[in-house]
Amino acid sequence: MSLFMEDPAHFSKSRLKSDLVAHNVVLPPTKSRKEIYVDLHLKHIAQKNAGDFSSDDEDQEQDLADKEEEEDAEILVQSCLTDDDLKAALLKHGVKAGPIVASTRALYENKLRRLQQSEGQGHVNGVEKGVLYSDSEEEEEQEDGESGSEGANEETAEQSNQAQQGSSQNGDFVYPQCFLLSSRMRAHATRKREPIPKRNSRNVIKSSQQSRHHCSQIPVGITKASSVDQRSGLGSGFPSGTHSAVSNGGSSISSQQSFSITEMVQEVERRKSLSSRPNTERELNGSNVQEHWSRSNRPSQEPVKDTIKEMFLNMEASPTGICATRRRPIKGAAGRPVQYIYPDTPTSPTTLERREVERRLVPIHIQILVFFIVACLLYMIYVCVEENSFNPFVALLDSPDQGSESEEGLMLQAKTQDTPVISGQE
Amino acid sequence: MSTTSQKHRDFVGEPMGDKSVTSLSGIGEILGKKLEQQGFDKAYVVLGQFLLLKKDSEMFSEWLKDASGANSRQAGSCSQCLREWCDAFL
Repeated sequence: MSLFMEDPAHFSKSRLKSDLVAHNVVLPPTKSRKEIYVDLHLKHIAQKNAGDFSSDDEDQEQDLADKEEEEDAEILVQSCLTDDDLKAALLKHGVKAGPIVASTRALYENKLRRLQQSEGQGHVNGVEKGVLYSDSEEEEEQEDGESGSEGANEETAEQSNQAQQGSSQNGDFVYPQCFLLSSRMRAHATRKREPIPKRNSRNVIKSSQQSRHHCSQIPVGITKASSVDQRSGLGSGFPSGTHSAVSNGGSSISSQQSFSITEMVQEVERRKSLSSRPNTERELNGSNVQEHWSRSNRPSQEPVKDTIKEMFLNMEASPTGICATRRRPIKGAAGRPVQYIYPDTPTSPTTLERREVERRLVPIHIQILVFFIVACLLYMIYVCVEENSFNPFVALLDSPDQGSESEEGLMLQAKTQDTPVISGQE
Repeated sequence: MSTTSQKHRDFVGEPMGDKSVTSLSGIGEILGKKLEQQGFDKAYVVLGQFLLLKKDSEMFSEWLKDASGANSRQAGSCSQCLREWCDAFL
């Protein structure tokens, strides 16, 4: 039947009307505001339920008594609170309420109920759950559906996290979680990194808290995850675990010195001259990448390196102890050396376009030439055909075409023929 | 972060005077009618409610959702609109 919390303010007007009619309450005039219905509803029906509570199941009563010892009376009789009492109750929860008027009363009552609920539940289950629920309440209040699912995921993640610990429940519970979660972090390092970017801005705080957990574990997580990925990624007979193992070996050999990329390049060039090209190039480049990358993870690699070395004992002996097999280039690997270009590179649409354009580059010069030729032709035709204004064209023809007397002769003839005509016309 | 609509800018740019409720950002024809049915026929009456709730955006959004059936986006927009108006003119 009815729960111990009734929320008539959230009912629709029609629902309130029907409830009032069911309880034989005189309806207010139809045009009155919803608050009036709510008040009437609260007055009559809440009082009824106050009586019903005593006859409810014992379980419910005990739950009520357990959860809300202090606020029991207030909840049941909330509708009978005076404005001042409501204000005082809200103040107790730290909420400075504005004037409690007809229109604002329902809102403040709801707020008080929500605060009391959260407090009551916090009482029973400890502080962190209170924090949990207050977080989830925020989400419920503010955003209806947007972060609801995310909040649920967060809650379950957080609950499972905290269920595991059980002991770190101080105000400072962020940091103790780091150490307790380390074992889980390693296994789920890659998986957990995915949900983080999907969260919206309000959950950034929580995600940043969780990412702080991850921070200390990322170096270890990365090496483990990478070794796992490499092992699964390559199908070559030579397991790629040797990558990190051997590169670790290489880095440990020269770990005393500070590496620089120029040194790597020099090593590469030296080895180029020594051994056959394609294989070692790829190996070295793979090893370059590995060494460069392992450098950043140097401090936390000792235990990992040992175990991997044990596992993969069939390593080739090479000058720097580095063996590498051809591997797929990492997507988005900016700044890597260009040696990764394979012979059969797929052509993207942009390269195809560029090639088409390049095919036209030479013809462009021809086009320009043709354009000029055509322009000159047209100009000559225009000059020849034009009959009205001769003087500028005569002057023009004089300078460039001094050699072509035939044209001059033509022009003069035309001029002599036409000037009498023009003078005749005028 | 959130871009303001033209309606928002129009409302916040000048004293509301006797503007109708539909001039509020986020309040369209339908919501405006519902508010008018409840007696909030002018923007200043809604402003009154906003001020009664001590300019608390959350409480006001909640009230607006309850009173007019607005969704959270509309309520938030109206709330922000009124808040900025108050910052500018109150």
